[in-house]
Order: sequence, then C-alpha cells, then structure tokens
Amino acid sequence: MVEVKNLTKQYGHVTAVSDLSFEIRDNEILGFLGPNGAGKSTTMNIIAGYLPTTSGTVTVSGHDIKEDARAAKRCIGYLPEIPPLYPDMRVEEYLRYCAGIKGIRRGDRKKEVEKAMVRLELTDMRRRLISNLSKGYKQRVGLAQAIIGDPELLILDEPTVGLDPTQVAELRKFILELGKDHSVILSSHILGEISAVCNRVVIINKGELCAIDTIENLERKASGSPLLILTIEGDQDAATAVLKKISGVTEIEDVMDMDDNIYVFRLRLENEKVRQEIMSEMVKNNINITEMSMEKPDLEQVFLELTGKK
Amino acid sequence: MFSLYKKEIQSFFYSPFAYVLSALFMLIFGFAFVNRIASMQSSVFQFSFPDMFYNNFFYFIFIIPLLTMRSFADERRGGTEVQLLTSPLTVTQIVLAKFLAIVTVFLFMIALSLFYPIYISFHGAVIWSSLICGYISFFLWGLVCIALGMLFSSMQSSAIIAAIIGEIVMEGFLFLDQFAATKMVQSYPHLNSVVTWFSMQRRFVFFAQGMFRLEDLVFFLSLTALVLFWNILYIEKRRWSHR
Repeated sequence: MVEVKNLTKQYGHVTAVSDLSFEIRDNEILGFLGPNGAGKSTTMNIIAGYLPTTSGTVTVSGHDIKEDARAAKRCIGYLPEIPPLYPDMRVEEYLRYCAGIKGIRRGDRKKEVEKAMVRLELTDMRRRLISNLSKGYKQRVGLAQAIIGDPELLILDEPTVGLDPTQVAELRKFILELGKDHSVILSSHILGEISAVCNRVVIINKGELCAIDTIENLERKASGSPLLILTIEGDQDAATAVLKKISGVTEIEDVMDMDDNIYVFRLRLENEKVRQEIMSEMVKNNINITEMSMEKPDLEQVFLELTGKK
Repeated sequence: MFSLYKKEIQSFFYSPFAYVLSALFMLIFGFAFVNRIASMQSSVFQFSFPDMFYNNFFYFIFIIPLLTMRSFADERRGGTEVQLLTSPLTVTQIVLAKFLAIVTVFLFMIALSLFYPIYISFHGAVIWSSLICGYISFFLWGLVCIALGMLFSSMQSSAIIAAIIGEIVMEGFLFLDQFAATKMVQSYPHLNSVVTWFSMQRRFVFFAQGMFRLEDLVFFLSLTALVLFWNILYIEKRRWSHR
C-alpha cells in the first residue's frame, strides 16, 4: 500500500527525519510511535503530500507522492494533529465541501457525506456550527473528512489527544473497524493506544528508525527471562529456602513484606514452565500461595529501552 | 475547484463580512457623491463618475486588503491549509479559486455602487461610455490589488498584519503615482519612464476619458497574472522551507 524508502527530511541544517524506510501493508493498522519531537508528524505530513522530501521516495498505492501527486493524494485521507475545520461552517456543509475538494463526483457527494456522517454518528449534528461542537465531536468531524470517499489509506496523527476516556474507547473501536478494509497509520506517544489497535509498530526516535515489528515480537525481544510475581502466606525464610532449591529460579529480585505472614516475591525464571515446580514445592512445604502472576514486559518497556539507548 | 470557490464565497456572504465591507464601500462612494452634488451652483452641473473613483482611490484602497487578508492567513492559522495542500487540488487551482471568489465579492461591491449612476440617469444625463470605462478600469485596478493582497495574506499567518502590509504597499503605489509627477523624477527621463510605467492612476485617466487602450488592459491583466503566479510559487516554496 505505502512504501517509504530512505526518507530524509531536513529543515535547513536540522535533520528531522533521516533515512527512514518502512512499508504499510494492505488492510493493516500500523502504529507510529515516538517521543514528542521524534519526527512523527513530519513523516506523516510527507506521506500525505503536505511537505516535500529532502531525499527518498514515498509511493502510495503505486503512485509516487512527488511525481504523481494527484493520483497519490486521491488514495489518502488525512487527519492532521489539529483537525482542519472551519468554525463558521455547519457540519454537513463542511463535509460536502471536503467531498468536493477531494474530487468526488458531484452526484456521489451527498451519498458519501451521508455515509461518513452515519459512520461517525454525526447525523444529529449536521446542522450545527462547527465552532459550537465539543472537542470530541470536532475530532469526529475531522475523522469524517478523512474517511470521505473511502480512501485506501488513512493517516491519523494523534487522533485521541484531548478526548475523554469513553471517547478514546469509542475512537479505538472505530479505528479497529476501519482497519478491516483500510490501511491505517496511527501515530501516538501513548503506548496503550498503539498496543490496543495496531498490528505492527514503527518506533522512531530523533528522526531515526528504532524498531519495526509486531507488538508480540517486540515484547518478546524486550522480555529476556520471564518475571514471576508470587504472593505467599507463611514464613519468609522457609519460602526463600524452598525457592533457592529450585534450579529454574535464577534470581530472587525482591521480597516485599505486605502484611502478617504475607510476602510478595519477584522472581526471575529460566522459563515459564518452572511455575509448576514452584507450586508443588510450596505445597509440599506447607506454604500457601495466594497469588501468582507472570509480569509481561509491555510495550512501554520496549519503548523506553529502544528510545533510551539512542 | 468549484467547491473551494463556493466555500470561499460562502465564507464572505454567510458572515457579515461581505455586507459590512460593501456598506463601507457604498458609504465612501455616497459621501463623495453627496459632496459633488452639494457643490452644485447652477442648474446645469457636470461631474464624472470616473473622477469620483479617481479622487477616492485613497479610500477605496483600504477596502481591498480587508477582503483579501483572510484568504490564506486564516487557512494557515486554523490548520486547514494542510487539508487544502493534501487534497488532490493543485496550488494553482487553490490560488485561482480563492482569487475568483474575492473577485466575485468585489464585483458585487461595485455592482452595488451602480445605484448612484442609475439614480442620476433618472434625473439627468449620464455619459455611459465614460462611466463604463471608469468601472472597467476600477475593476482592473481592483484585480491587481486583490492579487497583491492575497500574496501578502499567504506570507502571513495573521490576517491583520496581512491587511496592514497590503495597505502600506497599495499606499506605496499611490505615492509612486504622485512621485512620478514631481519635478525631481521628471528631471531624470529614464527614471521617469520607469516610474510612470508602473503608475496606475495615469492609466486610469485614459479610461476616465472613455478611452479603452489595449496597452492598459494588458498592463493590468499581466500584472495580476504575475502576482498570482508569484503567490503560487511562494506557497510551493514555503512547503520546502517549512518551519
């Protein structure tokens, strides 16, 4: 769908993006992750055809964004960081206008606008002035203008900024739905958002590509040996002695004294199978296990590791 | 492209903007008109409408930057510029659509002012050839000013500053006209020929006499096209040196 090759963007002497290469597959939700100022918006602006590249190429659905800009731009729906709205227009009127500048045929405009409004539940707001809408609705109108005409590629730049938790959840659901028949690039600096909706993630930092992989793979890479959180009821020393005997337990990282006779252990294991052994050994020694859980390294750790190194 | 044109027109007419400006224009025109009538001494009194344009250039010049100031500055400030530039429209189409929309509003304004000569024609005689030429020249001169005003608007993200720069430059043109008439400039023939070539009011006088010279038409239209082209280049250039 989209191929970004050796993309470099310089503003004067400042390099905003350097030698970035990745691709977006058909019907895939690609997360675009990086700290503030990493070059996310710049890259998205370039893919959308707003900014020209310093070097490198971007092809959208086979059309070069520089050479064949019109055809490429027809395949793209773009929601910039600040939704491009005219406060003195009404919702429906604005969407009609968007359909017009996107080159949708006159006869189809009404239908397309209606479809977008239904999809984003804006039909009750059609006569409202955009300036009178709440932040959440404004964001929806922004999304509606992006999906009008059913472009194959949707570029969403931090779409959830400033929304309340219910709205964020709704938007996520919507993006997941879109991902079924569209390619979506979604940028964010919020990791939870990315891991909730994206198939693959591109992590960039200071304009450079740090990682590009599926979320599962990234988590696996970062995890190293699995970490077990074990809560027991009983004697601390006895429990420690038992754990030390089990060869699969490589390290006891930490012990917290929670309450009378309740302790929480953080254990490094060789692999996940060691859990059964711990369980049976504890039972043999009359130590009650009240809770046992694996701590999965989340994307956050991956992110910090990757962006911290550079 | 038509959608953008329509949106621009709507943004003028759905807000009080176009009406307030038209009213201002009519007011200035009306004052000038009343002043002329009031200086009537005998029952036979002559005055020309083109003269009124000519003498009130200074005031009319204030209106055009107000029309053009928002065209690009507001798009930039509101973040809608991104949408325009990522749409399949070319920069040329964007500039032309906006230009045509403002020209339409401008035409609406001058059409309103036709009220005065039409009113006169009921009570006296109007020399239509001179009147029409006067209107054509005012319109042509307006095209140049609109193109200029739009250029300044695309250079600024603040509409007010765009308007002020527009005022200053258009005042500069008026000044140039007067400067051309000074003894100093006239004593340097080469300088004089350059300065007078750019002088718009000089060309206006020909129109006012009912003379429609191809040279003047070409002058105004080519100047408009040149400034519009500059605007297109400027927008393209800014994308390269963004931030």
